[in-house]
Amino acid sequence: MQISEMIASAIRMSLPVLLAALGAIYSERSGVTNIGLEGMMITGAFWGATTAYFAGPYLGLLVAVLSGALMALVHAVASVTFRVDQIVSGVALNTLAYGATRFAATTIFKMATTTPGVPRLPGIDLPVLSAVPLLQPMVTTLSPVIILAFLLVPFTRYVLERTVFGLRLRAAGENPLAADTLGVDVLALRYAGVAISGAFAGLAGGYLAIEHTGMFVEGMTAGSGYIGLAAMIFGNWQPVGAMLASLLFGFAEGLSLNVVAEDVPYQFIKMIPYVLTIAVLAGAVRRATPPASVGVPYERSGE
Amino acid sequence: MKPSLRTSLLGIAAPLVAVLFASIVGSVVIAAAGKDPLEVYQTMFSFSLTRFDSVMLILFRATPLLFSAVAVSVGFRANLFNIGVEGQYFIGSFFAAWVGFMLRGLPAVIHLPLVIAAAMLGGLVWALVPAFLKVRRGVHEVITTIMMNSIALSLVHWLIYVYLDPGQAIPGFGSPRMRTPHVLDSARMPTMHGLLNPLLKPLGVEIPQHVYLNYFLVLGLCVVFCVDYMVRKTPFGIEVRAVGHNPDAAETAGIDPGAVRFKTFLLSGALAGLVGLSDLLAYFGYLDIDFPKGYGFTGIAVALLGKGSPAGMVLSALLFSFLRRGAEGVQVFLGVPMDTAVILEGVIILAIVVASSIYGRYVLTVQKREAQSHADQ
Repeated sequence: MQISEMIASAIRMSLPVLLAALGAIYSERSGVTNIGLEGMMITGAFWGATTAYFAGPYLGLLVAVLSGALMALVHAVASVTFRVDQIVSGVALNTLAYGATRFAATTIFKMATTTPGVPRLPGIDLPVLSAVPLLQPMVTTLSPVIILAFLLVPFTRYVLERTVFGLRLRAAGENPLAADTLGVDVLALRYAGVAISGAFAGLAGGYLAIEHTGMFVEGMTAGSGYIGLAAMIFGNWQPVGAMLASLLFGFAEGLSLNVVAEDVPYQFIKMIPYVLTIAVLAGAVRRATPPASVGVPYERSGE
Repeated sequence: MKPSLRTSLLGIAAPLVAVLFASIVGSVVIAAAGKDPLEVYQTMFSFSLTRFDSVMLILFRATPLLFSAVAVSVGFRANLFNIGVEGQYFIGSFFAAWVGFMLRGLPAVIHLPLVIAAAMLGGLVWALVPAFLKVRRGVHEVITTIMMNSIALSLVHWLIYVYLDPGQAIPGFGSPRMRTPHVLDSARMPTMHGLLNPLLKPLGVEIPQHVYLNYFLVLGLCVVFCVDYMVRKTPFGIEVRAVGHNPDAAETAGIDPGAVRFKTFLLSGALAGLVGLSDLLAYFGYLDIDFPKGYGFTGIAVALLGKGSPAGMVLSALLFSFLRRGAEGVQVFLGVPMDTAVILEGVIILAIVVASSIYGRYVLTVQKREAQSHADQ
């Protein structure tokens, strides 16, 4: 029982990280670093929860996705069109998201840091597997977003490896000049990559607020956007690798919740995901192969 | 107008345009919340600038931002993005508080400098891991420093719990106030009331008792200008700029970029360690779980808006401090959430980098055109 409970909790915990990591793959593969994922997740969480409060969870999740994507478009305008430092733009968006959320929460709910409780989607029992008692914690009353997120892993792999869009997206991130010479619209692809990453981050936020917690709480993203970037790097910019890395993070976090050791102060337990992120990055980066032109603004000569 | 004069005038205009753009965005946000933007800005100005206590408070609040901006901007010079100022000043503040309440019997002339040195050491220690990983393992410093921020916050909370002030404890009830003991008087930074109030008296104003304006403001101004001098004039500063500008060329010239980045990162951390001192040593006197947060992030905005120039950073620090104070007034009098200031902060960062990018492209075009016309002659 314990083991399957823990795996179930690891899967729930890993979800925001997984969605952020998958989104980051689209953005980075197109050549744009998106450190603003955290802010997009916060935005998605707040507007998702707010919409769910007034209009139900389906519309809530939709608005979460859209608000994340909208925020990502700001990042695209700044970093793709105006070619500003992508890190600076992302950091600015994180600040903006934090302030805007508090502002909106105070204006709408008269509370700066939370929304009221919101309804969630009906849970799903996976057929056949639900009959196995051992697996029950993992496969019953599952959030549909969890199923969607894990389906997005092979989907992302398929899009990147097997579609024209994916090929062009990767070309924009590896060698934008060559891609441009062949008639690929590098800027449009980078806009698409960034927008998709924002949509995924928004969904992650919506999941956290609507499905996982049942309300928006300030600070609920707890760095998942950044950890998602680390998971993407650890997974070597590949969807399956990113999923495994996300599960590792989810497991560590689930573990820290379950192992409430009397001797270890809870402040140290709270540090586990962050320490793990640093350790993972320290070990991962040497063998990592990022897209060749990620972080470099593309400028058509003669413009 | 000569093109060179025009480009330098536009260079000054870029930050102004950014601030203007941000206030327009701010207006839209305020209007969306159902308030009158003009009234809000008017209240902001009158509350911040027509009350002497507000002006003094703005100076007090600008003090930590000076340290934080200079820490961020020295990193920028070597192409390092230290988002870890936040965590570094939390650790630095704890080091300072610990030296402040543990070491007894020292005269102030020794104790206070020791406390300041401890703060710098704390910030430096917290920059070690990201600096090492950046230089030796190639790990981007942005993610590691953000993680270090979260770890620092938890660690300091735990340390506060470990060093809980026994004076706050109520027998049988534990301690309702989670804070460290007060630092000794010999570790406190004096406020500027004693020096300035006699001078201000003929003007009919005085610094009110509830404003803790102190000599860290002077120290902060010194640090801003000294670090700028160091970067521009000393051999190390030239190495820093060389590495920031073109690491490959610097290496060819015999500079070790890794070593220079490492030292710059630690310098940035040590400066960041000073951020919390004005609040710690002149105001609270102790560290608690509500110790002011966010100076590190605002420092990034200040450094960017000031574009690395010392005067620019001082003005930007005052601007952001003014925004915070004004936002408080607006919240009290008009019921507009004071997070408006944070929104403006984010928009200003975005607007300033976009304006600078457009400006940079314009300069490039002008230079090309000039080169072209020289070639034609």
